Amino acid sequence: MSRPAPAHAATAHEHASVRTYVRVAPVLTLVTALEVGVIYIRQLTPIIVPLLLAMSAAKFALVVMFFMHLRYDARPLTALFVGPLLIAVGLAIALMTLTGAFLVLGR
Amino acid sequence: MTAAHEAALLRSHAATSTAAATGLLSWVTTVDHKRIGILYGVSAFAFFVIGGLEALVIRLQLARPQAGVVGAETFNALFTMHGTTMVFLAIMPFSSAFFNYMIPLMIGARDVAFPRLNALSFWIFLFGGLFLNASFLVGAPPDAGWFGYTSLTLRQYSPGLNVDFWLLSLQILGASSILAGVNFIVTILNMRAPGMTLMRMPVFVWMALTVQFLIVLAFPPITVGLVFLMFDRFFGTHFYDVAAGGDLHLWQHLFWIFGHPEVYILILPAFGIVSEVLPTFARKPLFGAPVVIYSGVLIGFFGFGVWSHHMFAAGMGPVADAAFSIATMLIAIPTGVKIFNWVATLWGGRLRGTLALHYAVGLIALFTIGGLSGIMHASPPVDLQQTDTYFVVAHFHYVLIGGSLFGLLAGVYYWWPKLTGRLLDERWGRLQFWLMFVGFNLTFFPQHYLGAIGMPRRIYTYGPGTGWAFWNLASTVGAFIIALGILLFAVLAVRSLRGGPVAPADPWDGRTLEWRTSSPPPVHNFDSIPPVYGRDSFWREKHGDALGRRPAPLPAFPDPHGIHLPSPSFWPIVVAAGIVVAAVGALTHLAIVVVGVLVLVVAAWAFALEHHRAAAHVDQTGNLETDHRKLAMWAFIGSECLLFGTLIATYLAYKGRSVVGPLPHEILNIPITTLSTFDLLMSSLLMVLALAAVQRDDRRQARLWLAGTAFFGLIFLGFQAFEFTTFVHEGLTLQQNLFGSTFFVLTGFHGGHVALGVALLLTLWVLDLRGLLTSRDAIKVEVVGLYWHFVDVVWIVIFTVVYLIP
Repeated sequence: MSRPAPAHAATAHEHASVRTYVRVAPVLTLVTALEVGVIYIRQLTPIIVPLLLAMSAAKFALVVMFFMHLRYDARPLTALFVGPLLIAVGLAIALMTLTGAFLVLGR
Repeated sequence: MTAAHEAALLRSHAATSTAAATGLLSWVTTVDHKRIGILYGVSAFAFFVIGGLEALVIRLQLARPQAGVVGAETFNALFTMHGTTMVFLAIMPFSSAFFNYMIPLMIGARDVAFPRLNALSFWIFLFGGLFLNASFLVGAPPDAGWFGYTSLTLRQYSPGLNVDFWLLSLQILGASSILAGVNFIVTILNMRAPGMTLMRMPVFVWMALTVQFLIVLAFPPITVGLVFLMFDRFFGTHFYDVAAGGDLHLWQHLFWIFGHPEVYILILPAFGIVSEVLPTFARKPLFGAPVVIYSGVLIGFFGFGVWSHHMFAAGMGPVADAAFSIATMLIAIPTGVKIFNWVATLWGGRLRGTLALHYAVGLIALFTIGGLSGIMHASPPVDLQQTDTYFVVAHFHYVLIGGSLFGLLAGVYYWWPKLTGRLLDERWGRLQFWLMFVGFNLTFFPQHYLGAIGMPRRIYTYGPGTGWAFWNLASTVGAFIIALGILLFAVLAVRSLRGGPVAPADPWDGRTLEWRTSSPPPVHNFDSIPPVYGRDSFWREKHGDALGRRPAPLPAFPDPHGIHLPSPSFWPIVVAAGIVVAAVGALTHLAIVVVGVLVLVVAAWAFALEHHRAAAHVDQTGNLETDHRKLAMWAFIGSECLLFGTLIATYLAYKGRSVVGPLPHEILNIPITTLSTFDLLMSSLLMVLALAAVQRDDRRQARLWLAGTAFFGLIFLGFQAFEFTTFVHEGLTLQQNLFGSTFFVLTGFHGGHVALGVALLLTLWVLDLRGLLTSRDAIKVEVVGLYWHFVDVVWIVIFTVVYLIP
């Protein structure tokens, strides 16, 4: 079934400690609170979309890197996730552009 | 191969074949990759015959002007079912047959990573194919084209069950393909014999790996498109309802985002086969093998950026047309590289004119013609003249028969001795090849001309004064010559199986590991893990390098697990049956859907826990020093990225297009959703705490955190139920407007994922309660955790783009 096991198994990869998990959680909470807060600040209206996207991306990255252990795991796993993620983002932008949601391309 | 080695192989084979299970039940419950490969091959051939018969009726109808063989409606059904059958039920599973049988042998493995999942993929495929063809029995075959363009496929224009059969079966077949894709990604990346580095893998395995990535990434967008269509037809949503603000282009995009990579899903396996056949029969290495590999990967990657060349006639505008035109022309470069490399492999080789080589060379010639006409379509002005004419029909048949089918037939003649232990009749086979070659060109070359003089596709008849009659008749004669060729192949195959000459283990003086074991291989494939000496390892072992220097023999690699073979299982076929019963219910009665779902849930649960305590399943660490299950979950999450990416993109593309209220800013409750977001984020914290507790065997803490995570998940679902019911009371339903359709489907899909995650967590919790979850099961908790965290990050995106961005 499986290949001969190397010296250490996958679960033996160095993972974040419980202390790290407990530190990440308040950061996620804080960024979520900031996300909700900034939408009520009028002065931020011109940059609200990139600001929200940046904060969302930061939360996304924190969960993936620490809770999903991608920061500590084998590189191919990162490729297995980031590759499709980039294709998904590219296709999503193309789809929105081609259906006229973004007027990047004139019809 | 030495005579002693050959004799040892035969002894080993005799010993295992007597012990091998026989009878129908053994095939129903089999999880052996070789048997599943044979099941795929036989099923694909049966569906190929059905699709071929449909083609013959089409050709009879078009053989002369105003023929009355079939009427217009039957003709529509025939070309729809012919296309759908050949793509999804014949060519794809033919490739799967070779993937299943050959990949483990070529990489020196004993089976695939998940043998039961492999069986499940097959049974879902078979039942999906039977379900599609059952439409004939109830007089409602799909009849809107294999592309299923909206609005033709909406209930208003296709009121019968025809399109329902089509869209449900495609979803079933898609599930089968994605499961198989994940399985083979893990198998290839994680189960290679020691020394089999990625660049030492046979080119066929490389092309298979590329195809698996295409499958897991290209099927989700069409699944989303099909779900939208299903919701429009079954529940009255507005995804493709122009009057409600919907966009018919959306379907075309979603279909072709899948549809073009699908072309490479169909052709790359054939390219891989040819890349194995040519060096074997030219008796020299594949010219520039790394470049052939890179070209294949590049074709796969570019394949995601060219889909809109199928839509030049849809009016996308000059910038989009130019971008997709350039991308399409670019993809010709790696394809051309392959063709030059194949020709260079033949150049100066000591050629043996076997049938496999005939078909491989046939592919080079015919695919080149199809590729050249493809480049013509890459130019929008030229494409506008050719769209919907027989020129396009000629083009894609040169690619898919001249390319895919000829490549697969090369594979059949090449690997038949390995599969069956018998040789095929090469003398009669030569006639078979020429029937196929002449018949194919007579059928499809004239269609270039027919298209050029204006004959449209999909017409069921034509007038006598059009000038199309002669070449249509020629085309029909050619189609029947192809049929004769296929019939002759079937006769040769039966004759070979009944009494053909016995094949030795290595009849072609092969280069790769599958020829190192007996024909057919024993159930465990290899007595010991084969040594790998480089690219074309077996050739080097026999003949040495270019200077004749043989490698020093490597010692036998100890297999720490011994020879462990997976046990047969009933559950794959029961799970697949549950899925198809639910699909039947969708067309008949809700109660049958409930029965199907119950069977599915119970069988899936039994499937998941079948080997929970089996010691042989504990360590599944492979080449990447990662557990198979973890690697599989990451591959699946990659696929899910495309699924949710498409759902979110659709929500955003349709944002602000609703023609009636309520609108998002009037109804979305940000404070409440902030609470549910916080709840889900914290559930991720509990999940990692649960994993840490399981890893240190702290059962009390593990139970606490697992229950806590599931509880937080249930709270999230409670928030969602509250939100949905509130919205319905305030007038926002699935059917109310485009916002309602996109919002409920997107968040509902996410909620469904959360519900599945809760079910997985509760299963782990129950196992823990019963003392069946120890530190050695930590990988299972980690894999469920990955899924849970992914559901969490998807919500992070949804919360921002749906609720917060104005």
